[in-house]
Amino acid sequence: MNPSTVDVGTAAVAAADAKQVMRDYFADLGAAAKDPARKVAWCTSVGPAEILRAMGFEVYFPENHGALLGATRVSAETIPVANAQGYSPEICSYLTSDIGACLKGVTPLSKAYGLDGVPRPDVLVYCTNQCKDVMHWFAWYARRWNVPLLGIHPPNHLPEVLPEHIADVASQFRRLIAQLEAITGTPLDPEALRLAVARSREATDLWESVLDTARTRPAPLSFFDGTILMGPIVVLRGTQIATDYYRTLLAELEAKVAAGHAAVPGERLRIYWEGMPVWGRLRQLSDLFAGNRATVVASTYCNSWIFSDFDPAQPLESMARAYLKIFINRDDAYKENYIERLAGEFGIDGVVYHAARTCPNNSNSAYNLPQRLAAKGIPGIVIDGDLCDLRCFSDGQSTTLIEAFLETL
Amino acid sequence: MNTATDPARSGSDATVRTEVFWGVDCGSAEIKVAAIDREGRLLTTRRCRTLFPLVEHVHRSLAGHGDELSAILDSDRAELPPDGRQPSLRPGHKVFATGYGRHHLGFVQGQLTEIKSHYLGVQHQLRLQQDYTIIDIGGQDAKVIRATPGRVEKFAINRKCAAGTGSFIEELAHRLEVPMHELPRLAAGHDKDLTLNSYCTVFSGQEVIKLLMQGERVENLIHAMYRSVVKRVLEMTAIDTDTLVFSGGVMNHHPILMPLFAERFGTVRTILAPNAQFCGALGAAIHGLNEESDDGLPNHQ
Ligand code: SF4
Repeated sequence: MNPSTVDVGTAAVAAADAKQVMRDYFADLGAAAKDPARKVAWCTSVGPAEILRAMGFEVYFPENHGALLGATRVSAETIPVANAQGYSPEICSYLTSDIGACLKGVTPLSKAYGLDGVPRPDVLVYCTNQCKDVMHWFAWYARRWNVPLLGIHPPNHLPEVLPEHIADVASQFRRLIAQLEAITGTPLDPEALRLAVARSREATDLWESVLDTARTRPAPLSFFDGTILMGPIVVLRGTQIATDYYRTLLAELEAKVAAGHAAVPGERLRIYWEGMPVWGRLRQLSDLFAGNRATVVASTYCNSWIFSDFDPAQPLESMARAYLKIFINRDDAYKENYIERLAGEFGIDGVVYHAARTCPNNSNSAYNLPQRLAAKGIPGIVIDGDLCDLRCFSDGQSTTLIEAFLETL
Repeated sequence: MNTATDPARSGSDATVRTEVFWGVDCGSAEIKVAAIDREGRLLTTRRCRTLFPLVEHVHRSLAGHGDELSAILDSDRAELPPDGRQPSLRPGHKVFATGYGRHHLGFVQGQLTEIKSHYLGVQHQLRLQQDYTIIDIGGQDAKVIRATPGRVEKFAINRKCAAGTGSFIEELAHRLEVPMHELPRLAAGHDKDLTLNSYCTVFSGQEVIKLLMQGERVENLIHAMYRSVVKRVLEMTAIDTDTLVFSGGVMNHHPILMPLFAERFGTVRTILAPNAQFCGALGAAIHGLNEESDDGLPNHQ
């Protein structure tokens, strides 16, 4: 196909497809939760989903629910409910949004996807490669619904991922598999695991290529598009659906690049977003950057679902390596080098650091990193905010900080 | 950036040369306006409390400067045109907005952030030739701007709380039951350096009450309050210039803060910007002047 003959308006179609993919995913989850013959596992966003898929579980990701609660601003009603139960306003607002929603009996999944409620789990599987809040979060559900709680506890904040770290996590995966086999009553099929890992690898490579299209000037997609388009790589890793979806999306974006389509017309500045999205303010922030002819072309967040280490020949070891190597689980020197490298590759003019009040794990401005990168010629600005808790976010102040920062570039 | 020019507005009629450039600084506590002529000379200033509807109060601030000068005819001053329309400016006048409310004035010819406007207002008046740091303390915010003679290098704004701003001083004055204008005089009579620890305005108030109960002198508490403002501002960012320029209303009314800043650095040159409360409004007007040029080049500086 000659890309120049492709309609450049098609990325809007891909965004719509992302919605359809998510609709199908939730419809199937809802059906699975009601079907005694099918089993539902809850998993953390960078947890071992491939193992769960290979063992026949339908997989639900509470963090995705947290993001949805934030984006629909239902969080404002649910966080205080969890706060009042002793879940501090200072801890993960995905956790407080989600637990508050459960206590209140509300979920945006009803309106968006027609589900009665969140799909009840048969097992809860977390991995503390990202933070320990997920452990406390899943433990609440384990107590509430008397569901088995299984955890992977990898070594954290690594300068380097060493063979002993990989051996440790791979052996934790083996124990997890044995525990899951006790729940399903069926042994894991090694071929099914290899297939899930192969599919994850293919999807994640395609996702990386999708994000890489933003290296072009002007960029055909922005971080704000990315936060919508990433749905399938988070929730459908290990399935063919994700691979198919990203192959279509990539073709569309490549056509856009060929046609010179800009996500932000008149792109003047190229920005890196460090940290979590402010889910309840995606539209406003997207408009703010666009209004100043700045495109957010790269982000730590969207890149967090690139797992180039998956290898079907060594499924468990490669999963261990991939899930240990993630940005959030690395030391500060690694993070500094990583952002510096991407700033070069994407032609970044400046970095906006989002210091999310309730997620220090995904906030990297508190240990002098912005100053160190500024000394290397990569200027930055820190905005205070949060992923879901808009009590911690000031529209006026963030607007002024971002606009004044763009003025200085 | 963000300088949207709408020729439909009367103030930007292309056939009429602009004679007066207005800057409006819509702060969260006060609206300040300043007008300059084509040579950048300050013609007038005015300030009032920030009240709503915002556009109506800005409209009033742009009128009543005399028929020669007002951007809005004095005869039109009393009220806005009916049905909530934006005010019309007299030909030959343009208005540029800065500050917290800058996005909410539909009739202006451009807007810029308070960081850039304060810098322009200070540099226009002082024409400094060296690198310097502007410390601006306003009613509800504090800014530190690292500047060169040509541009803003970097900046910081206070985070989250009123500590280090005018509201903090107001709250403690209220706690101590001392009128605001008495504070500097009383602080001068201090005989002990006390420290208030908390970031939080409410907790600082409690600290003050506790110290009062323990018999501390009010003079020492007021002095401690000023030192706390200095601390809050200095922890915002590292300052690396020998020249500090102060602006903002708080500095104007509490000049005692200047030596307190200076003593944290040893020898530094401190300057109180002329028209300290109007640097932002003046800078917005200067921005307008810079934008307008017969030959397409900035006609100022
Ligand atoms: S990484 Fe942050 S946002 Fe994600 S679950 Fe942990 S605390 Fe919450």
